[in-house]
Amino acid sequence: MAITKEAYKALECVVGSEFITDDPILCEGYRSGPGGYESATGYERVMTTTPGAVILPRTTDDVQKIVRICNRYKVAYVPYSTGFYGPRSHCHVKNELLIDMKRMRDFELDDKHWYATVQPGVTYSPLQAECLRRGGYVVVGGGGAQVSVVANMICDGWSPLSLRIGFPHRRILGVELVLPDGEILRTGSLAVHDDAFWGEGIGPDLRGMLRGYTGVLGCLGIVTKLALKILPFQPEELKPTGISPNTGLALPVNRVKWLNFQVPSKEAETQVMYEIGKAEIAGAVTKVPLFWRAIAKTEGKEDFWDIWGKESEETIKNFHIVRVLLIGFTSEAQMRYDEAVLNDIVKEVGGVQRPTKPIDQSWIKNADSAGMWLMCGAYVSVDYIIESIPHADTHGPTYAELKARYTPPFMPDYGDPGWTMVCEAGHQGYSEYLVYWDPDEDTNPVDRFYVETSKMNIRERYYTSLLGSHQPLYLTGPKYGPNYHEWLLKVKGEFDPLWICHPPVPLAHDQFVERAEWMKSMKDWESPDEFPMPKW
Amino acid sequence: MANDRYDTPRKKASFEVRDLNNFVYDMSRCIKCKGCYWVDHTYMPGVKYTTRCPSGTWNEFDSYQAAGKLRIGLAVAEGKFDWTPKLLEVVYADPLCGACDVGCKRNLDLEIELSLEALRMKAVKDGAGPMPAHKKIARNIADTHNQFGAPHDNRKKWIDKDISVAEKADLLYFAGCSASHTNNEIARATGKILNASGSPFMIMKDEWCCGNVLYSVGMIDEATKIAKRNIEAVKTSGAKTLVTSCAECYRMWKVDYPKMLDIATADLGFEVIHLLEFADGAIRNGRLKPTRNVDLRLTYHDSCGVSRLCDAWRPWKGERGWMGTIEPTYKRRRGTEGLYGQPRNILSAIPGLTVVEMPRIRENAFCCGAGRGTREAFPDLARFSANQRLEEVREVGAEALVSACPFCKNNFLQAIKAHGEEIKVLDISEVILASL
Repeated sequence: MAITKEAYKALECVVGSEFITDDPILCEGYRSGPGGYESATGYERVMTTTPGAVILPRTTDDVQKIVRICNRYKVAYVPYSTGFYGPRSHCHVKNELLIDMKRMRDFELDDKHWYATVQPGVTYSPLQAECLRRGGYVVVGGGGAQVSVVANMICDGWSPLSLRIGFPHRRILGVELVLPDGEILRTGSLAVHDDAFWGEGIGPDLRGMLRGYTGVLGCLGIVTKLALKILPFQPEELKPTGISPNTGLALPVNRVKWLNFQVPSKEAETQVMYEIGKAEIAGAVTKVPLFWRAIAKTEGKEDFWDIWGKESEETIKNFHIVRVLLIGFTSEAQMRYDEAVLNDIVKEVGGVQRPTKPIDQSWIKNADSAGMWLMCGAYVSVDYIIESIPHADTHGPTYAELKARYTPPFMPDYGDPGWTMVCEAGHQGYSEYLVYWDPDEDTNPVDRFYVETSKMNIRERYYTSLLGSHQPLYLTGPKYGPNYHEWLLKVKGEFDPLWICHPPVPLAHDQFVERAEWMKSMKDWESPDEFPMPKW
Repeated sequence: MANDRYDTPRKKASFEVRDLNNFVYDMSRCIKCKGCYWVDHTYMPGVKYTTRCPSGTWNEFDSYQAAGKLRIGLAVAEGKFDWTPKLLEVVYADPLCGACDVGCKRNLDLEIELSLEALRMKAVKDGAGPMPAHKKIARNIADTHNQFGAPHDNRKKWIDKDISVAEKADLLYFAGCSASHTNNEIARATGKILNASGSPFMIMKDEWCCGNVLYSVGMIDEATKIAKRNIEAVKTSGAKTLVTSCAECYRMWKVDYPKMLDIATADLGFEVIHLLEFADGAIRNGRLKPTRNVDLRLTYHDSCGVSRLCDAWRPWKGERGWMGTIEPTYKRRRGTEGLYGQPRNILSAIPGLTVVEMPRIRENAFCCGAGRGTREAFPDLARFSANQRLEEVREVGAEALVSACPFCKNNFLQAIKAHGEEIKVLDISEVILASL
């Protein structure tokens, strides 16, 4: 349904004419593709469109009014913070209202009780700069330093620094959420007073609702305020250095230091990760895809392919490197102790130290996710899991095997098993599988690979964090649930009776499979003839 | 190149700005990371001063940042839109300051600056651009050889009895329209600095506008004519080095002239330098001695033309193939050749000065908003940008704001005047002169 003049006028009254537009030129600026996450995939082409209008609220009150107007006039809407993570956070239906949250940038930092309260327009690097200045830190998620803190915290938000301070959802404190019908939900201590310092509140923990933000698991509202825990860091300054593109934080190596170790085998890599966890040392541990190392060494795209082209399945199979960040949180002595323990661990498995720069180019303040597009122009993290270290260990190689069958169009990665790291002092293992392709190639196999990965996960009994949003719900729901899809749809129906917040999520990928001719042959699961949405 | 086993057909490609289609690849690869918009994350100062894009900060719809403009530009290249006032605003309300370009090249090497320039070329080619205010400047340049429409005879009035100009010298000072007509203090200071260094300099027999606004608003045919005429005049003069005191002139001579003529900067036939380079070198080798105390707490503003926009031009034509790789390979212009160290060296050599840095400096500096036809067509944006910058000046407690460009100086002065503030605005040539 079109956005009527009456509805537009009502929306305009909320924010003023300066902050709303239905001009097709300005709406074109909010097109999802063709660049970006999942760029040139069928999902982007088939499922996304430009907004019918764009609105920029400033306050929670604005958001609440906008949502209520959308319900009154039956205008579908999608909240949008920075727009980085691709088609799934862009408009999916015609005449949809895109609610651009960037003007909501209120920020408060309580350095007595170590938490920050942010609106969705606040991004990571400014938050981290404020934290570091006060001797604290947060985890700048793998999504990048440029993403909205709120959006990242409620979806993904982990990085190698999660070794020490855990997953983002564990650090979410008080939250304010505008539900799809316009009601305001406040969780944690915000439910009883204005201070967001505590995540637990009266009654059931409703933080599960947050997964509605960018389409992950159903769009169940818009977060307008979120408080997150800040952890103490170390006292010395990390000085920015260099001229773009070669910028980084100069590290005070007596307190903060990256170290690289080459170990003889995959088993040794795993053992090092386990032992670091057991010994409760270090601030970050990671084993990155080896092509990331090539990216770090290159002067540009062509240079990358010259470097990476020298690799082979044999060299990749036999190259195992663990990257460790040591942080002297409490003292130089603690740093020395950590380093000594680390050296013992590495020595035990026959590892050797490899050179690395005394600067931090990525992870502490800047997470360089944008560099992922340098090689090919198109990329997606098709899957990630948070489970145990052995789970992470087997997940990557299985993916690599499947990927080989889809290469090309995927870039040749010679069987690299992806990104592995350890979180929460070794209690959890993390594996992320990233695929890259040339958007000018036939990308239909990329779409098919997605669904193939769901089937592989089901077959191999892998837990996956992208269960709901990037895979067909009617495929995964009965297998993982056995009926989680029914529950999810019930929850969506309960909180968004008109299904007005970002339709057709959470059935978007199901609908894509139905619409895209080249996906039809993949469908070997049951789904209703007619999907139960939208309601208008 | 290894790995070209996918047999992706190769396509001819070029960085020629006359054709928007040359940048379809770049426009279609934007990933909305908004590196174009934010300050480099490593240098992010905190929750204040987070952006470096004047137009995207002035108007907060994504469509005014490069991320939005590239999507709009792609639609224009595909013929999806007719030119409308809104489309012209998106294209022209932008000082083309290069912040987006260096930001993107932190990771992706997309040619954003060239794409935005090509979009303006297309606007003019289609008969929609430039903006009325730009057409007036074009008329002024055609009639009086300066952008203000001032009498051409006044061009050399800055030369007073204390300045010695040689008939013939290796060094040629190109004063530019602003220093010749509206900012004589800059030309006079520059002339005196050159004299003090003992380097004889000449000026052009008949200096004309460099054509900055013409090129910047997409009037490339008119700008090319001027470029040819000016280059020829320098060659005829026999000068080995051309020195400017204006950042916009500097960028034109060093980057955009060779770009228009499809040659490398190195092939111009003479060297192009800014006063910053001259003075830095002269102080280092002892030809300039800043010995007088200048009691001032100042901050330096990196003008775009002498910072992220001034990498030497290197023309490129070739083919693009698998994964978007190009052949022959190309050394990208990432703003790394900017004159970041020179002004700071100069200022630190002057006794009495206290130099304090603003939160956004060098490649992350927030443009004053005046350049490349913006102040004339979108004064509101120019005022907004200047005020953003002045907030930083106040925050660091500087008494004076110093730049190396008359466009910056004038725009800041106007913004300060509107507020009735005490902050002094100076060109770096004035500060150097005060120290001699």
